[in-house]
Amino acid sequence: MAEHREAGELPLIYLNNAATSWPKPPEVLTEVARCLQTPFFERGRSTTAGATDYPSAARDALADLLHAEEPGHFIFTGSATDSLNLLIHGFVKKEKAPFHAITTELEHNSVLRPLHTLEGEGRLSLSMVPFQDGYVTLHEIKKAIRPETRLVVMTHGSNVLGSLQNVRPVAEYCASNEIFLIVDGAQTAGQIPINLSEIPAGAFVFTGHKALFGLPGIGGFYLQDPETVASTRQGGTGTDSHTPAHPQDMPQKFEAGTPNYPGIASLLAGIRFIEHQGQDAITNKCRSLAALFTSELKKSPEIILYTPAPDLPVISFNIGGLDNDEAGYILANAYNIVTRTGLHCAPLVHDRIDGGKGCVRVSFSHFTTPTECRTAAEAVREVAEGAGR
Amino acid sequence: MRVVKSVQSKVCVDGSLMKEYMLDEPLTPAFLLFLRLFGTVREYPHMKRPYFSFEQEYFISIKGFSGDTSVEVRYKKEFADLTADYFYLLLYYYREGGTAKMQEIVSSIREKMKTRLPAPERPVH
Repeated sequence: MAEHREAGELPLIYLNNAATSWPKPPEVLTEVARCLQTPFFERGRSTTAGATDYPSAARDALADLLHAEEPGHFIFTGSATDSLNLLIHGFVKKEKAPFHAITTELEHNSVLRPLHTLEGEGRLSLSMVPFQDGYVTLHEIKKAIRPETRLVVMTHGSNVLGSLQNVRPVAEYCASNEIFLIVDGAQTAGQIPINLSEIPAGAFVFTGHKALFGLPGIGGFYLQDPETVASTRQGGTGTDSHTPAHPQDMPQKFEAGTPNYPGIASLLAGIRFIEHQGQDAITNKCRSLAALFTSELKKSPEIILYTPAPDLPVISFNIGGLDNDEAGYILANAYNIVTRTGLHCAPLVHDRIDGGKGCVRVSFSHFTTPTECRTAAEAVREVAEGAGR
Repeated sequence: MRVVKSVQSKVCVDGSLMKEYMLDEPLTPAFLLFLRLFGTVREYPHMKRPYFSFEQEYFISIKGFSGDTSVEVRYKKEFADLTADYFYLLLYYYREGGTAKMQEIVSSIREKMKTRLPAPERPVH
C-alpha cells in the first residue's frame, strides 16, 4: 500500500503569479540585501561614495525594457492600484469636470472603483464597454465615444481571461481625438515585449511584484505628457525646498516623500533578470506552459475552461459540482498547489462568464516548470473526476 | 472533539468570515452523520483525500477532509454575531450527545434571524 503523504509534504507548486510572482530571481534578493546594507543614495542630499542611485538606474532600465523615450517620465508609486488612482484623480483634477469617461468590463477594481467613486461625486459620467471572447475592440470603444469624452481607461491584459488587448489602435484613436488613454499594464509589463514608442497612450501603468519580479510595494507609470495630469500629492522632494509650491519638474511632480529604495532596487534587479533571460524567451516559455495546461484541462468534460487559448499565462476555470472556493481548497490541501479563487477583483468579467460566482485561476511565471504544470493539470483533472463520481 | 486553536481567519469575497480550526482529533464519519441533522453534507470519497462540505443556510459552512484534524468554517456576514459560537456548539453537543439541545439552539437562532430577513427570505422550519 502506498504511503499516504499529506499535502504539506508534497513539493509546493505555486500558480498564483498573476497576483504576485514567486519565487523571485536570486539576483533580486541579493540586490535588495545590497541596497539595505549601505546608506541610500538620496537625490539632493549628501550620501556615501559608491551608493547606487536606484531610482535613476531603474528609470533607465524601465525605459530600455519598455522602449520609452523619456526615463524621467517613469514615476514610482506603491502599486498599479496606487498609479491608477494617482492618474485618474490627477486627470480629473486637471480636466474641466464633469466630462465623460470610458472603461471596459475587463477591468480590475483598481480601475473600476476610482471611476465609480468619481462618478458618484458627479465629477464624470461613465460608460462601460463590453468584451467579446475576451477582447475589447476599438469599434466598441468608438460606439461609446461622446463629444465630451476625455478619458479612456483600459487593461492591456485581462487578469482573469489572459487576453491581450490590442491597445495600439485605441491609443492612436485617442491621441488623435484629444482623449487621455490610461493603459493598465499590471499583467503585461515584464510578461510580453512592450514598445511604448509605438503605443501613443497617455499613460502606461505597471506593477513591480508580478512579471517584473520585484517586491510588493513598488509600482509606477509612464506618462507621455506631464501636463495632462495634476499632482495629487505634495511634499518633500529634496529639490527646490525653499519654495512652498510643489516642484512641477519630472519626476518630482508626482513623487513626494522618501522613495521605496528596496522596492526600486528589486525592480531594477528584476528588469535586469528579464533582460538577461530575454523577454521573448520568458514570453514564449510562459505561453507554452499555458498551452500545455489548457490542452490537458480540455480532456476533462467536467472542467469549464474560460480561457481556451490565453495570450498571457493566466487560465481560469471551474469544476462542475464544486464551488471555485472548494476546488481551490482541495488543490491547496490535498496537492499543495496554490491557485487563486473568487472574483480576482474583476467582478464584471465574472458577471459575463460565470454568473458572478467566480472561478479558479492558475497563472505561471518563468520559474514554473513543465513538470509542475503537468502535475497541476493532472491534479485539477483528478479533482474534477472525483467531483463527478 | 474540541478546537485546539483557531489558525487563521480572512474575509471572503462575499464578506463572510473564514476561520480555520485545528481539532484535537480527526473528523470522523460519525461526526458527518451528526452534521446531516442540521444541514446539507456533501461527500467526495473518491478524491485524493476524502473531501466533504457542510452547508447550513444562513448559519455556517464547513470544508474539510474526513480523517483530518483541521477544518475551514465560514460564517455568513449577515448573522456572524448570532453564529459566532455555532461551530463550538456543534462540537460540544456531538461530544456530549445533545442532539435535541442543539436543535433547540438552532431554533432559537433562527427566530432571531427571522427579524432581520425580508419576509420572502425567512427560513422555514
